[in-house]
Amino acid sequence: MSTIVIEHLARVEGHGGITVELEGDTVANVRFDVFEGARLLEPLVRGKRYDEVAPILSRICSICSVAHSLTSLKATENAFGIRVSPQTELLRELMFRGESIESHALHLFLLALPDYLNYPSAIALAADKPAPVLLGLRLKKLGNRIQETIGGRAIHPVNAVVGGFGKAPPVEELIELRSSLMQAVADGDSVIDLIASLPATDFCHSDTLYAALRSPNLDTYYTGDEVMVVSNGNRAIVNAADYRSLTGEKAVPHSTAKHSTFRGSPFMVGSLARLTVNPRRLMGKLAVAMKRLKLQLPADNPMDNNKAQALELINDVERALEIIGQLLRDGIKDERAIPVQPRAGTGAAITEAPRGLLIHSYTYDDEGRVTAADVVTPTALNAASIELHFRRAVEQCADRDEAVIARRLQMIARAYDPCISCAVHLVRMR
Amino acid sequence: MSKPKVGIFGLTGCAGDQLAILNCEDRLLDLVALIDICDFSMASSHPQRDCALDIAMVEGAVLTMRDARQLRAIRQRSATLVALGTCAVWGGVAAMDRGLDRAKLLEEVYGERGKEYDSCAAQALHEIVKVDHNITGCPIEKEHFLSAVAALLNGDPPLYPEYPVCTECRMRENNCLLIERGEVCCGPITAAGCDARCPQLRIPCVGCRGPVTDANTASALAMFEEKGFDRQRIAARLRTFAPVGVGP
Repeated sequence: MSTIVIEHLARVEGHGGITVELEGDTVANVRFDVFEGARLLEPLVRGKRYDEVAPILSRICSICSVAHSLTSLKATENAFGIRVSPQTELLRELMFRGESIESHALHLFLLALPDYLNYPSAIALAADKPAPVLLGLRLKKLGNRIQETIGGRAIHPVNAVVGGFGKAPPVEELIELRSSLMQAVADGDSVIDLIASLPATDFCHSDTLYAALRSPNLDTYYTGDEVMVVSNGNRAIVNAADYRSLTGEKAVPHSTAKHSTFRGSPFMVGSLARLTVNPRRLMGKLAVAMKRLKLQLPADNPMDNNKAQALELINDVERALEIIGQLLRDGIKDERAIPVQPRAGTGAAITEAPRGLLIHSYTYDDEGRVTAADVVTPTALNAASIELHFRRAVEQCADRDEAVIARRLQMIARAYDPCISCAVHLVRMR
Repeated sequence: MSKPKVGIFGLTGCAGDQLAILNCEDRLLDLVALIDICDFSMASSHPQRDCALDIAMVEGAVLTMRDARQLRAIRQRSATLVALGTCAVWGGVAAMDRGLDRAKLLEEVYGERGKEYDSCAAQALHEIVKVDHNITGCPIEKEHFLSAVAALLNGDPPLYPEYPVCTECRMRENNCLLIERGEVCCGPITAAGCDARCPQLRIPCVGCRGPVTDANTASALAMFEEKGFDRQRIAARLRTFAPVGVGP
């Protein structure tokens, strides 16, 4: 038996590795190893008051801290029966777009791109070819500016609270943001040019199940509470309150991330899943860009997630512009957060973090203190699918060359844009 | 003269301090012109694992034996070790309530498998190795990272405010959330450097930067009690981000 081990998966967030065991020509075992320490934040929030929960649980992950923070607030608001104002909903959606732009730009340009162009890092790439790295940094900075303007800080936002916001952003700042976003529209074309020019990554084909938040009429990452699972033309709907049916989970010995399946099959969440579940988004400019990227949905190649991120990057810029347009038309109001009346009960919330579905669910006592907390993260949901695609890639590598396999598996892992700090937080408290 | 060799590492945490470094978008390429970042797994797939380092920057807390081994190895190869962010400096959120029975929590979360995981109670870096400088914040302010690099390149120690968030908050002429609105604001004992970001937005300080040097915790607690807040609850709040730094 021979074994291929990648001790430390670089250019991803967190601590993970890959192990492949071959018996002759047969793939005996593939593992996505997670050796991130378990921080046990979910049991540690037990007993905390409702206003302390989002600031603690946003610390699950820096890259998705907006998603964790706002999903946490939405779950708490659901538990207390609070309905936030339309302005709050728009501002939160805008924060999600900012985070998505930052996260996708970071992933595509600084983490994934060096593989395609045979460089160890974006720093080394920039020494030879600065243009694509500068393009990525520009977009990344724009995403951060949105998060700073609305959320008060790019990492671990502070301005969003249960019931609304501390302070609404000043009109002048929204106008400035709008002009930066308008400049970024031209960058969107460069993104598609660049991604379309990359060498094909044609080494892993597999029938894939996709799951994403369903938003029939609205392009949203934040609003909505239904998940659609798509496979080979079959569709199933799961309501937020029944989210546990998405997480037929088991703890596995090689990983502090639990593994999830839907009716026994692994499924993929993230950009590619979002576009597959909500194809109506792909009109006009996006449809043209999709053709240039030679992306067909539903896709059978996980590497296409990089193309889907590029499409979302330009869509996020346009959606952010729409939201700012609406906020300025309606007039931004200096609203106070809705006063909180705690009550005993459970609230669950589902949103689309940059890497896919994110679920927070809490139970509160009548004083507004947490008695149980549950967080399901996109990378934990993806873990079983990542292993399935590792297996397919090894099977489809005809000569079983170890160096080739190692390179391909790392590229697949990165295409999922895994966030391993998040992955360990698939946790159920009773 | 060859560029100083720098390593950037993450133990257990959210990677927010490494991300804050990557968020120096406008300065990143200037930075790599001044220093040789030779080990930074989050950004590069060809780290030099064995070279001696002039400066090591380490974020996250120690939560596994693997973290502890890695931290000792980093210390051994580095002339200067900088703790990056509240988890590294003060233990951070994973260290709160570290007196709780960890084995029991692990089993509750992961079932029987929990017993097999490499896991220990969260510790700040200084509890394991000697730390030369601290840059606190959850996450760090990216400007503090840049000024620390500049100072260290000049052979100077990085310096940070030795006054509380309250001082910055007053300079911004905010109404006091604690005195005027009766909210639990940790500003009086929390290290400044954030320009009172939260109170500026009418949000009480949660203490994410850890305690200010010589924090007068007793007097702050007395003030909170005077306002009618429960002492135990307040103490728990003060320990959320800086469990290692604040006494019972």
